[in-house]
Amino acid sequence: MLSFSRDHKVIAKQFLALGLAFLAVGGFMAMLIRWQMAHPGAPVPLVGHVLFGASGGIISPAAYTSLFTMHGTIMIFFAVTPILIGAFGNFCIPLMIGARDMAFPTLNALSVWTMAAATAVLTASFFVPLGAPSAGWTAYATLSTAVGTPGLGQTLWVVAIYLNGTSSVMGAVNYITTIIRERAPGMTWFRLPLTVWGFLMTSILNALFVPVLAAGMVLLFFDRVFGTQFFIAGSTIKGGGDPILYQHLFWLFGHPEVYILILPAWGIVSDLLSFFARKPAYGYRVTVGAFCAVTALSSLVYGHHMFTTGMSPLLGESFMVLTMIISVPAVVLFLNWLGTLWRGAMRLDTPMLYCLGLVFTFGVGGLTGLFLADIVADLYLHDTYFVVGHFHLIMAAAVLLAIFAGITFWFPKMFGRMMNERLGKLHFWLTIVSLNVVFGLQLVIGYAGMQRRLYDPSVYDFLRPLLPLNQLISRAGFVLGAAQLIFVFNFFWSLWRGRVAGENPWEVGTLEWTVPSPPPHHNFEELPVVHHGPHELGNPFVRARLGRDWLGQNEAPELAAPPPARSDEPEAAEPEVAS
Amino acid sequence: MSAPAIRREDATTTVGMAIFLGAVAMLFAALFFAYAVMRAQAPAWPPTGQAPLPAGTLGLNTLVLVAASVVLHAARRWDVARARRGAWVALALGAGFLAAQAAVWRSLVQAGSGPASGIYGSVFFAISGFHALHVAGGLVALALVAARGAGPRRLAACTLYWDFVLAVWLLFYAGACLR
Amino acid sequence: MPYGPPRDVSIDGHLVDGAFRYLTVATSICFAIVVLVLAIAVLFHRGRAGRVAHYTHGDRRRHLALSLGVALALFVGIDAVLAGRSLGHLETRFWAWPENAPDVVRVEVTARQWAWVFRLAGPDGRFGTRDDVVTMNELRVPVGRPVYLKLRSRDVVHSLYLPSFRTKSDAVPGSTTRLWFQAREPGSFELGCAQHCGVSHYRMRGELRVLPSEEWRLWSNRASEDGRLRYDASAEQAADAWDWDQG
Repeated sequence: MLSFSRDHKVIAKQFLALGLAFLAVGGFMAMLIRWQMAHPGAPVPLVGHVLFGASGGIISPAAYTSLFTMHGTIMIFFAVTPILIGAFGNFCIPLMIGARDMAFPTLNALSVWTMAAATAVLTASFFVPLGAPSAGWTAYATLSTAVGTPGLGQTLWVVAIYLNGTSSVMGAVNYITTIIRERAPGMTWFRLPLTVWGFLMTSILNALFVPVLAAGMVLLFFDRVFGTQFFIAGSTIKGGGDPILYQHLFWLFGHPEVYILILPAWGIVSDLLSFFARKPAYGYRVTVGAFCAVTALSSLVYGHHMFTTGMSPLLGESFMVLTMIISVPAVVLFLNWLGTLWRGAMRLDTPMLYCLGLVFTFGVGGLTGLFLADIVADLYLHDTYFVVGHFHLIMAAAVLLAIFAGITFWFPKMFGRMMNERLGKLHFWLTIVSLNVVFGLQLVIGYAGMQRRLYDPSVYDFLRPLLPLNQLISRAGFVLGAAQLIFVFNFFWSLWRGRVAGENPWEVGTLEWTVPSPPPHHNFEELPVVHHGPHELGNPFVRARLGRDWLGQNEAPELAAPPPARSDEPEAAEPEVAS
Repeated sequence: MSAPAIRREDATTTVGMAIFLGAVAMLFAALFFAYAVMRAQAPAWPPTGQAPLPAGTLGLNTLVLVAASVVLHAARRWDVARARRGAWVALALGAGFLAAQAAVWRSLVQAGSGPASGIYGSVFFAISGFHALHVAGGLVALALVAARGAGPRRLAACTLYWDFVLAVWLLFYAGACLR
Repeated sequence: MPYGPPRDVSIDGHLVDGAFRYLTVATSICFAIVVLVLAIAVLFHRGRAGRVAHYTHGDRRRHLALSLGVALALFVGIDAVLAGRSLGHLETRFWAWPENAPDVVRVEVTARQWAWVFRLAGPDGRFGTRDDVVTMNELRVPVGRPVYLKLRSRDVVHSLYLPSFRTKSDAVPGSTTRLWFQAREPGSFELGCAQHCGVSHYRMRGELRVLPSEEWRLWSNRASEDGRLRYDASAEQAADAWDWDQG
C-alpha cells in the first residue's frame, strides 16, 4: 500500500484507501456538526473532552467554523475525488478499454503521491497555533485572507487545495490521453462503457477548470503570504482588490466541480442500470450527447452561486436562463435511465439497489436545483439550509450511492471476492431512508428560513421553533453515520471471508470481466479485439445461439447478428442491434 | 506481451503534453483575467506614482527566452548527442532568465514597488513569479533531456512546453511594458 | 405550515412564495410520475423465472423524440414559464430601484464583524452630515413607503437577510450593493447575516422595526436632533458614510 507502484490497479487501491479514510473523518465531522445543531452548547459525548477539552467538551464557535470548513473540504476534495475519480477511474479505465495500463504510469504514481502530500498538509493544518482552517470550504475573501483569518492553518489549506488540484490535473492528463490513445482494436468511441465516457468528461472539466481554482489559490496565497492585494478591500484594511474576483475564480471552478463529481456517477449508473435490468442502456448516444452538453455548458452557469453579490441584472439573468437550460440534458439522461429500466428483467442485487436509490435521490435533488436557479426564489433561499439540502442530495447522496454501487460491483474484480449481499441490502435500506430524511428535512428548514453555518440558531427567535426538526435531522444523521459502519464491516470482512468470485459474477460483457479476479499485473494475456457495444444484454439472437442473455464485447461479431436470411423464409423482423 | 515500456515515442506523448499545456494555459488565463479585472477597476493604470518597470532588462529577458526556444527548435533536427548539448544551452539560457528576473524583483522591491506595495506590484509579482516557477519546472525537464537524451517526440514535447512558456511571457511583457 | 417561513410582511414577498409554490407543485408532479415509473419497473419488470427483457437500444428516432420531447416539454412548461414570470418580476419589482420615488426612505448600511450599522440621512437628505440618524443592529422604517438600502462592508463579506421580507443582499468590502423593500404592516421583525463572516457570524442579529408613518416621522426627527447634538466627527462611526450618489 505504501509502495511507489506504477500499476494502475495498485494506485487505484491507494486512492481508495486514502479516500475511504478521509470519508470517515469527514463523516465524523458531520456527526459533530449535527450534535451541535441538535444540542447547542452541550458537551459532546464520548469524544468531547478529548477533542474540545479547552472548552469543556463543548464545541466552541471557533471550532464549529473549522468543523464545517473541514467537513466540506474533506468530503469534496479528499473523499469523493480520490474514491470516485482516483480509485474508480484508475481501476476501470484501462480494463474497460482493453489496455494494459494508463498512458503515463509514472505520472499516475505521482498523482496519488501528490494527493497523499496534500492530505499531509491538510492534516497539519489542524495542529497549528491559531487554529484549523475556518473560512468555509468556499473560502471567500476577504474572510479567507490574512485580514479575516490570520495564521498558518488557512494558508496550509490553500496549499493543500493546490496540491490536490495538481493531483487531479495529472490524473486528467492521464485519463484523457489513455482513453484517446490506448483503446483496444475495435473499441470505437460508441462502444465505450458509459462509465468511461463519464470519466472522459470529468477529466476534461478537471483539466480545464481545476487550474482556475489553482489560480485563485495562487492569488490567495500571495495575498496571505506576500501582502498582495488581489482580494483585499474595505475600510478596516485598505486595498485595491476585489473580493468578488475571488468568487468569480472560485465558482468558475466550483460549478464545473459539481459536474466533475457527478459525471463518473452518471456513467457508472448508466452502465449498471443496463447490467442489472438485463437490457441495453436506453439511448446510449443521446446519453453521451447529454454528458457532452452538460460538460460544455457547465462553466457558463457558475454565476448562480452569486446572485446576491450585486452583479449586473443582465449578467444575473443570463446565468439564470443558462442554468435552466443545463437542466435539459440532465433531464434527457434521467429519462434514458427510466427507459433502461422499463420492461427489463431486473436483478435486485445490492449494486442495483444503490443505483435505484441514486435515481430516486438525484431526481429529488435535481428538481430542487430549479428553486435555486430562479433568482426570485434564490434571493430568499440563498445561504439557507435549502441549498445545503439540495447539494447534499445531489452531491453527497447521489455520488455516495454511486460509490457504494461501484465498490460493491467492482469489489470482486479488485479483490477476488464478493461482498456480502445481506449486509449490503441492510446498509442500503438504512442509508437511503436516513439520507432522505436528513437532507429532505434540510430543504424544509431552509424554506423556513434557517441560514447556513450558524453555530446556534436559537439566537434568532424565528428559528427557535425549528429545534425539533433539527433534532430529527440529527437523529437521522446519527443513524446514517452508524449505518456506514455496516459497509465498513462488510468491506473488510469480505476482503478475507467473502465468497470467492469468478471471472464474471455479474454476467456482463464489458472487458474487465474477461480477465481473472483480481487481474494479473498486465491485465490481458492477449489484448482483446472488440466487436460489440458494452450493453449487449437481452439480445434474442444471442439467447438463441448461446443460451444466455449477455454477450462479451470481444466475442465473435456474428453472434449478435440475425441469422443469415434463407431464400425460402420470409424476412425476419430485425431488432435494433447496435453496431 | 509484457508491461509497456515506460518511455514512449509516439503521439501519446504529444497528446499528453497538449492536454497538460491546455491546463496550464487555463491557469495563466485565469491569472490574466484577474489582471484584467484589477486593471479595469483601477482609477488609473499604472497607478499614479508607480515607479516605472525596468523595461530594458525585461526586454532582454524576452530575447533570452526566444533564444532558448530557437535553440530547442533547431535541436529537433540534430542528432541525439548534439541535441543534448543544445538542451544544455537552452538550460543555461533559462537559468539566465531566472537570474535576471530575480534581479528585476529585487530592484522593484528596493524601489518600493514590491508585491505588498499595491495592486500593480501584486499583479506584476504574481504573474511573473508564477511564470518563473514554470520556467524552473522546464529547466528540470531540460536537465533530464540533456542528461539522458531524448527521442524526437519527447524533444518535440519539451520544445512545445518552452514555446508555451515563451508565449505566456510575451503576453505578460506586452501587458507590462507596451502601451 | 407548521414549519414554514416567517409571515411575509412585504409587498413583493408573495412573489417569492408564489414561485416556491409553483415549483413545489410542478416538481412534485414530475417526481410522483418518476416514482410511479420506478415502482412499476421494480415490481413488475423484475427478472423472475422466465421473464425476458425487452431488447431495445432506445436509439431509434421515435425513442429520441420521446426523450427530447418530454425534456423540452418540461423545459417549456416549467422552466420557461417560471423564467418568464421571474424575469418580469425582477425587472418590475425587485430590481426596479425606487431612485426617484417621492416617499423613499434611503438607508446606508455598513456591515462589520459582527454588527449592522444603519444610517438614515435625516432632514437634510444628505449622508455624512450632523443630522444623520445612526443605529446599530436596529433599523426603523415607516410602513407603506419604499425603503432603499445601499450596503457596504468594513471587513469581510456579510449578507443582510430579511426573512420576513423574503430577501437578502450581500455586503461586500470595496463595493456597494443594493436592496429595497416595502413593509405592508407595522411590527418588529428579525434581520440577520446570511454569509459566513467569522466566529460570531451566528450572532449578527438585528431588528427591523416598522412603525406607522407618523410615529416614524416623529422618532426620526427626534433621533436626528439627538444625533446633531451628539455629533462627533472623529468618531469611528462617522467614517461609515458616503455620498449616496457616489456608489
